[in-house]
Amino acid sequence: MKRSKRTVLNILRGAGLAFYLALAIFPLLWIFITSIKPPEEVYTFPIKYWPSKISWASYEYLFGFADFGKYFLNSIFVSISASLVSTVIALFSGYVLAKMRFKGKYFLVVFLFFVQMIPAYLLMIPQYTMFSNLNLINRLSGIILVYIGLGAAFSTIMARGFFVRIPKSLEESALMDGCTRLKALFKVTLPLMLPGVAAIFSFSFVQNWNEIFTAALFLNSDSKMTVPVALYSFISKAGIQWNVLAAGIVVSLIPTIAVFAFAQKYIVAGLTKGSVKE
Amino acid sequence: MMKNRKRFWFIFWMLVPVFSVIGFLSVYPTIKGFILAFQNYTVFTFNRIEFIGWDNFEEIITDPDFLMILWNTVIWIGVSVFFQLLLGLGLALLLRKPFKGRGIYSGLVFYPWALSGFAIGLLWSWLLNGQFGIINDLLLKMNIIEEGIQFLSNPDTAMLSVLIVNIWYGIPFFAIMCLAALQSIPDSVYEAADIDGASGWAKLVKITLPYIRPTIISTVLVRSIWIMNFPDVIYGMTRGGPANSTEILSTHMINIVYYENDFSKASALGVMVILLLLVYTLLYLGFFNRGEMEL
Repeated sequence: MKRSKRTVLNILRGAGLAFYLALAIFPLLWIFITSIKPPEEVYTFPIKYWPSKISWASYEYLFGFADFGKYFLNSIFVSISASLVSTVIALFSGYVLAKMRFKGKYFLVVFLFFVQMIPAYLLMIPQYTMFSNLNLINRLSGIILVYIGLGAAFSTIMARGFFVRIPKSLEESALMDGCTRLKALFKVTLPLMLPGVAAIFSFSFVQNWNEIFTAALFLNSDSKMTVPVALYSFISKAGIQWNVLAAGIVVSLIPTIAVFAFAQKYIVAGLTKGSVKE
Repeated sequence: MMKNRKRFWFIFWMLVPVFSVIGFLSVYPTIKGFILAFQNYTVFTFNRIEFIGWDNFEEIITDPDFLMILWNTVIWIGVSVFFQLLLGLGLALLLRKPFKGRGIYSGLVFYPWALSGFAIGLLWSWLLNGQFGIINDLLLKMNIIEEGIQFLSNPDTAMLSVLIVNIWYGIPFFAIMCLAALQSIPDSVYEAADIDGASGWAKLVKITLPYIRPTIISTVLVRSIWIMNFPDVIYGMTRGGPANSTEILSTHMINIVYYENDFSKASALGVMVILLLLVYTLLYLGFFNRGEMEL
């Protein structure tokens, strides 16, 4: 009796897991299939579930005529630079906010929580007027600056969360041995922070890679577009074929999927311990 | 004394980069947004800007569609959060006990978290295409419908469609948060319940849910705000259309910027969003015991 009940439960559990897996994989699988269909098989009725042969024509068009490689490199450059800077500065302030006692610290932490709630699209208009005056519109450096700003508060909160969990005694013994505080930070604490650094950087990279609204407002020349802006301009142009758009979507998703696969463990830790946001 | 001074400057210089970046790129723009809201800054008038009082606010509120947009926003947040939580919690419960390949499995179901909302919107608009979409095709083959549905170009189905996609997109986040909370429940609690002969359902209601309640509350709060400010999926699918049927406050603001080029009117809407956020947060914190928040 007891055993059969357990078997039923296990089967139900397996069915549930299979359901979630299918739900998660199916959309991506279908867009990938669309992108490798020969173009003439994309708009058929009834729908062809499987291409008669694999065709890379959509990707050739994407990287050839549509020049997607350029947008891809722009996105890589922007996302990596902004994430690097915000990770480094977040480590500085996160360290101080986690490890040192001083007046006003609580206020600063609460302030960071409020700042990280402000979404990009609310800031983009005043930023646009500011950046017009500074001649930073339509420049990758301008958008990098915006992304550093968007990531700074949350990266700091995350860094603080990781620093808090590193035992104080380790650093104190280094200080006793005559290390300066900065030296102790680099020699003792930072190596233990590597998972934290991976989490902060990956998280920030994903955010930057996916940001579209500020980028679409700021970057208006063809040579400066990032990947989301390019996808956006594709759908605005009449006559873009879905197989090419599908290829563009697939390419645009690869970097963040790769980052997630590599850093999932760290990201999950960063999300669930001492931080509130996505 | 000397040491104290050194310590002060150390703290100061470590904090300067982040807080000056935030000052320059978050605080100052927020203040500037409040000012812009009372001006007439459009792309065409930027060299003769004047203060025009509450005109922008009036223009937004008297828009005949404004109430619908507000209602859409409420639906967008409420329905999304409810089902994301329900399905996310379900997934987390399935993942609580270890099994072979759990690591890889969770990677495969959690990955949507990392994807671009806009690209996901685009992707699903292809799946939901009225003519060549695979969803229509499958529904037809299963005899659930008799002819293809124009999911995104029909105002009656557009909201439902963007909601389903947003729910799909948000399941992993809730699952990740719930799973972490579930894993912090000590096994001994369940063992004790087993000895008392508690049923699976009783354990869920009496142990599991009370244990993860604080996590659920704080996640729902944070996520509601986040979803309200998440126009990406809608923008990839409908841009707020057709006929404003999927327009929420955030897409409305972006549409005002992109298509009317009226920065001041958009800023006025932004001010209203910020005030709404504040009110919502205070109400929520007041409603639930603040001590339970996992800030």
